[in-house]
Amino acid sequence: MTSSSAASRKALSKIACNRLQKELVEWQVNPPAGFKHKVTDNLQRWVIEVNGASGTLYANETYQLQVDFPEHYPMEAPQVIFIPPAPLHPHIYSNGHICLDILYDSWSPAMTASSICISILSMLSSSTVKQRPADNDRYVKNCRNGRSPKETRWWFHDDKV
Amino acid sequence: MVELIGFCHRCDKVVHCSIEPIDLQNYTVLTEADIRQHQEEDIMRISTVLSISKVSASILLRYYSWSVSKVHDEWFADEEKVRRAVGLPEKPVVDYPNAQEHNCGICFETYPRDKMHAAACGHPFCSSCWAGYISTAINDGPGCLMLRCPDPSCGAVVCQDMINALASAEDKEKYSRYFIRSYVEDNRKTKWCPAPGCDYAIDFIVGGGSYDVTCRCSYSFCWNCTEEAHRPVDCGTVAKWILKNSAESENMNWILANSKPCPKCKRPIEKNQGCMHITCTPPCKFEFCWLCLGAWSDHGERTGGFYACNRYETAKQEGVYDETEKRREMAKNSLERYTHYYERWATNQSSRQKALADLQQMQTVHLEKLSDIQCQPESQLKFITEAWLQIVECRRVLKWTYAYGYYLPEHEHAKRQFFEYLQGEAESGLERLHQCAEKELQVYLNEEDPSKDFNEFRTKLAGLTSVTRNYFENLVRALENGLSDVDSHGACSRTASSKNLGGTSNKGRGGRGKATTSRSSSSSRNIDDLGHWSCEHCTFANVKSATVCQMCGQMCQQRR
Repeated sequence: MTSSSAASRKALSKIACNRLQKELVEWQVNPPAGFKHKVTDNLQRWVIEVNGASGTLYANETYQLQVDFPEHYPMEAPQVIFIPPAPLHPHIYSNGHICLDILYDSWSPAMTASSICISILSMLSSSTVKQRPADNDRYVKNCRNGRSPKETRWWFHDDKV
Repeated sequence: MVELIGFCHRCDKVVHCSIEPIDLQNYTVLTEADIRQHQEEDIMRISTVLSISKVSASILLRYYSWSVSKVHDEWFADEEKVRRAVGLPEKPVVDYPNAQEHNCGICFETYPRDKMHAAACGHPFCSSCWAGYISTAINDGPGCLMLRCPDPSCGAVVCQDMINALASAEDKEKYSRYFIRSYVEDNRKTKWCPAPGCDYAIDFIVGGGSYDVTCRCSYSFCWNCTEEAHRPVDCGTVAKWILKNSAESENMNWILANSKPCPKCKRPIEKNQGCMHITCTPPCKFEFCWLCLGAWSDHGERTGGFYACNRYETAKQEGVYDETEKRREMAKNSLERYTHYYERWATNQSSRQKALADLQQMQTVHLEKLSDIQCQPESQLKFITEAWLQIVECRRVLKWTYAYGYYLPEHEHAKRQFFEYLQGEAESGLERLHQCAEKELQVYLNEEDPSKDFNEFRTKLAGLTSVTRNYFENLVRALENGLSDVDSHGACSRTASSKNLGGTSNKGRGGRGKATTSRSSSSSRNIDDLGHWSCEHCTFANVKSATVCQMCGQMCQQRR
């Protein structure tokens, strides 16, 4: 499931619009714990505030997630990145890209923005060390000119964090 | 077929025993229809034996790389485990017995129950979401063959019956292509023929025999590495050789050996003739001395003129240039060696292409003409096609002997010498055949009436073909054995040559193969029980009365 950053800027299809409106309503009725959707009139780009769970390395810290929905959402995965400064985490690059399988290969249209948020928070909470991925500098250098993380061929090797 | 006669160990009666040739074809060429049929048969077999639907059987086979026996083993060892791993639940994991309506887990709309579909797991989604999900997966590639239920926590597979019910005609066609491709590509015993534009696949029985296969499209390739057929050279050497032929390193070697960088702009310059006064091309235009690379303005009569350089000579004596010069010299030597083998490899390759074209021409034009002139049915002219096929095959073998020679260690002198001798003999044998099939045949093509000696020509060409075939078959075997005779016999390499490469037609009739006399005194050992004598040069079996070899015109050793 590939889509360039240019393609993701295409207007949402009717199916995608309907589904996102339903997701938004559901979010307002039943928001996932620890997240706040920053209200804008842009249905295609959500900015979500993340609060680190208490009792974890990220307690009392706040980060911002940017979720861009492609034209054929939910058949295609949304693009999800942290707006820098991104949390220090072995799977999060300093440019905000996140190495998490459900955002790429393992995306399923039955997932939602809310379920993604919960997965990301769980990824943060299970971290035991605050550090960048080993290949951070090389990766970030290769991603200049605003390349989308969806163009990266991710290799998911660590199922513990 | 070879017939052996012997005595039974128990009753001492004479027994006859027929043995199929060892290199019995160990592969089958499959058309698309054959592939579909094999696939269908395997699916039917699993479906029957396991009492499951055909779509489930095909998923199981696909999961276990189309190995029927693997499916059997795994299934009967632990059916539950297999069902879990593959994603074939026996009954739905979710059940809504009373619900009239369902919420689609993708678009979140509500639909009546009969408008929803689910895989074996029972997770319901609406038709249009299923269609979108399936279409996205199919357009993403062959991964769609193991498509899972969209529910993130569910591993149930989406079977082909759902694809057929919900996908567009175009997507179904794509899916079906991936399905048949998977049968060839994921199966350990089948591969596509690598010839461009060829749609056949090869079903190969692994174990024993050679890897060489010839597709119905007439392309011959090695089943193991899928490069073109390359006996007597092994797959590893071929890979090395091909890499070498394409390697940038060879270009670098050449530049290093044959050029020097302009001392000013550093672009490489090749000097192929002329004096030592070099002027770099514009825009640089720097003038310098080729030998010492100093500015030409410092040169002139006093430094030795245009064809020498005193400064260079002095500096060389002082050892200033040694390092780079030595490296350049070495690169040049190794490059020359490589070029020697590469040129001959490539020449045989193009000769082979030419021979293929000639064969084509022969089959489409000349044979018919010849049949008219000589009043012979075309079926009687098969020996000409066979000769050309043999030429094509020999060119291929000869080509690869040059890669073989390139990698034969420099220090194994005896082996190298022996190898070069064999290669030379092979070359001249092939030339003889080629000459006969090309030039001598021409005479009969230009005649107006049937020629009296056409039958003699037939005997000669057929004989040469068979002699050359034998020689090359033995050559291939000897090289594949790593010329092992050389190690054991050392200086007796020539003996080994006549032992290995003598006509195989004599095999099994006597102990002649073990002859140890040296080649120069060979004579009586070449006479067999029927009084034939085998020519020392081309190995042709001549009749007793002939004093000169009928094939190559050499005098019989014994009668000199």
